Amino acid sequence: MPDVEKPTNGDKKDVKKPEARTPPPPTQEIKTNILLLERAVATLEPRFTHRVLRSLAALRKRIDNKVLRTAIEEAYPKDSQSKKSLLAWLPSVDDAMDVETTALPPTKASPIPEPVPEADIYLRLLILHHLLTKPETYSKAIDLAQETIHKMQALNRRSMDPIAAKIWFAVERAYELGGELADARPLFLAAQRSAALRHDDETQASLINRLLRSYLHYSLYDQADKLVAKTTFPASAGNPQFARYHYFLGRIRAVQLNYTDAHTNLQQAIRRSPPPKVAPGFYQTVHKLFVIVELLMGDIPDRSLFRHPVLQKALHAYFEIVKAVRTGSLSQFQTTLAKHAAQFEADKTYTLVARLRQNVIKTGIRRLSLSYSRISLRDICVKLHLDSEEDAEYIVGKAIRDGVIEGRIVHEKGWMECGSQKGAYGPEVSEVFSRRIGYCLELHNQSVKAMRYPLNAHRKELAAAEGARERERELAKEIQDGDLDDEDIGGEF
Amino acid sequence: MAHNQLNALYSDLVRAFDARPSDLQTCGSLLSKLKIGLMEAGLLLPQGEPNLQDLVIARDILEIGAFWSIRTRDVPSFDRYFSQLQTFYTDFSSTLPPSKREYPIRGLNLIRLLTQNRIADFHSTLESLPLPAEAVSENPYLSHPINLERWLMEGSYSKVWNAREEAPVEEYKFFVDYLMSTIRNEIASCEEAAYESLPLDDAKTLLFFTSQSDLLTFAQNRGWQVNLTEKTITFSRKTEEQTEIPKDKLIARSLAYARELEQIV
Repeated sequence: MPDVEKPTNGDKKDVKKPEARTPPPPTQEIKTNILLLERAVATLEPRFTHRVLRSLAALRKRIDNKVLRTAIEEAYPKDSQSKKSLLAWLPSVDDAMDVETTALPPTKASPIPEPVPEADIYLRLLILHHLLTKPETYSKAIDLAQETIHKMQALNRRSMDPIAAKIWFAVERAYELGGELADARPLFLAAQRSAALRHDDETQASLINRLLRSYLHYSLYDQADKLVAKTTFPASAGNPQFARYHYFLGRIRAVQLNYTDAHTNLQQAIRRSPPPKVAPGFYQTVHKLFVIVELLMGDIPDRSLFRHPVLQKALHAYFEIVKAVRTGSLSQFQTTLAKHAAQFEADKTYTLVARLRQNVIKTGIRRLSLSYSRISLRDICVKLHLDSEEDAEYIVGKAIRDGVIEGRIVHEKGWMECGSQKGAYGPEVSEVFSRRIGYCLELHNQSVKAMRYPLNAHRKELAAAEGARERERELAKEIQDGDLDDEDIGGEF
Repeated sequence: MAHNQLNALYSDLVRAFDARPSDLQTCGSLLSKLKIGLMEAGLLLPQGEPNLQDLVIARDILEIGAFWSIRTRDVPSFDRYFSQLQTFYTDFSSTLPPSKREYPIRGLNLIRLLTQNRIADFHSTLESLPLPAEAVSENPYLSHPINLERWLMEGSYSKVWNAREEAPVEEYKFFVDYLMSTIRNEIASCEEAAYESLPLDDAKTLLFFTSQSDLLTFAQNRGWQVNLTEKTITFSRKTEEQTEIPKDKLIARSLAYARELEQIV
């Protein structure tokens, strides 16, 4: 066993080192990835598979027909069935074939064994991603997606699960780009069911996200909400899946006017998202929604958020809205809303932004109540651009009832008297404090749980402890026997 | 049920419904017969690829059913018709010709949610409308409930009051009474918080009452003190009780912290 372990460890390092400096040619990388997959299957260690999949995003951008063809030619024995079916998906280029035949001889010398089915699925994943780069191959991608799903479900191997999760992502993408996202839903639902039954956490997480995305794409918030209520998102899912899930959840909650939950979920999505430079799109989208939800909760987002290099441009329209809400000017709010309507529409935040109208009024009233001790309803009406004094009276009444301001209306004189602000110290302070402590403790516990330990490392310690105990026992025995005197002990230690 | 029999019943229904005033009783009995017929023909919840013309007729029947439920003041029945119509409006939206009754019915559904104070459902329904925002605000059937909701949330109750007669379809007015009692309660709770006392006449205008006796019964229900000689209403203020220190909670919390710390160290 140690003999086998040593060299593999050695070449693992060798593979890793060049990767860190300059990426190897894609064909080479696919080849090593297939080797890693085989090792993952042989050792039942999903870690290797995860490593292969981590490189997917970078690798995806560097592959083309030729690279894939060469990789498949090299990975499979000459007349393998799966090789033929894989190659069928790539356009046959005759001159490419010629190059292959001349390049092949050295590898031909030693017959290659048929690689594990995981490698087949992995290659299919690469081909899928490749087909999705060009609009004219979208329909082909859908066909391949369907075939791959059938194959995957027929094989039904647990070691394939992590790749399967990625396949589902590609499948969704294929359907979405092909414009038939709704058709894929029954497929996802069925697969989600079997994934849940098999405790296949990764596929389940990926599929729940696929379904939510598909529902939200068609604005089916009811169905999405029901899906969330009926499923449990696997706790062991990876960060990217969690980030997506939290984003979708945040969206649903925001539409349902549950802003506190939406806020927590979006915050989680931001924390779990990849660094802004790596995935700017997700970062921007989440922040757009986050800004609106924060405004709807009555908070004003940090100014520094809008200076972030990734967000500055994308969030410009939202910045203007924030300014309007902050000043409490209804007219400014309306013009901003009208000016950027198209963008909000595209971001699917228009209805949410439109809900801010009442917040603008509330902010306005609060500002007035802070700066005046007594103000006539007529002046409120003029300052907040309200339509009539009558409206102003109702609005102020509602604000008092909702606890936005402290004060009362004197109807006979037609003014509002503003009470002094309550002292901020009370039980709610300890409430907030305890919430924060709770968060810190949760974070600590989560990170303890997330720590990874090398497999079987405790064996060595156990052996060492066993040895020490053994020695001690011998020592004790010897002392008992009286063979040893004090000097000897001192010398030994 | 044979196909042509279904057709005959359908034309009977249309005739009964279009009559002025519509024959609600006949409509009701025809509708229940038609629904059984639709179910037997597999059109109530269409599956597969049914005939386009049949689908249009099925949709028509359900739409008439929805209006009929409103006219007979049966809101749960409207709810059922609306969910059955959903299939036609969403799943077959690309194949069927658009129905001119679709938006009035969608708008009615929105108002229903509003009067039942289901604001969260109201917003998710709004979000799932298959129209861009501008088209929504230009559509009279939809903009009416949307404006109502906005005014309610802002507190511009007088606008709601004034808009009650501007209903785009007759059926909308059915919900007005519900809406008015909702607003009155809202206003009343605002007044309790915002005023110490209020002259009777002003209270009457603020609450949109036309007669003083209505106001007095309303005031009695809410437990207001009415002084008839001075013609004022005094609102009993909830005296701010001394906030107690939540001992149990604090103790439980401190113990929880101690336990967590124990685990960490």
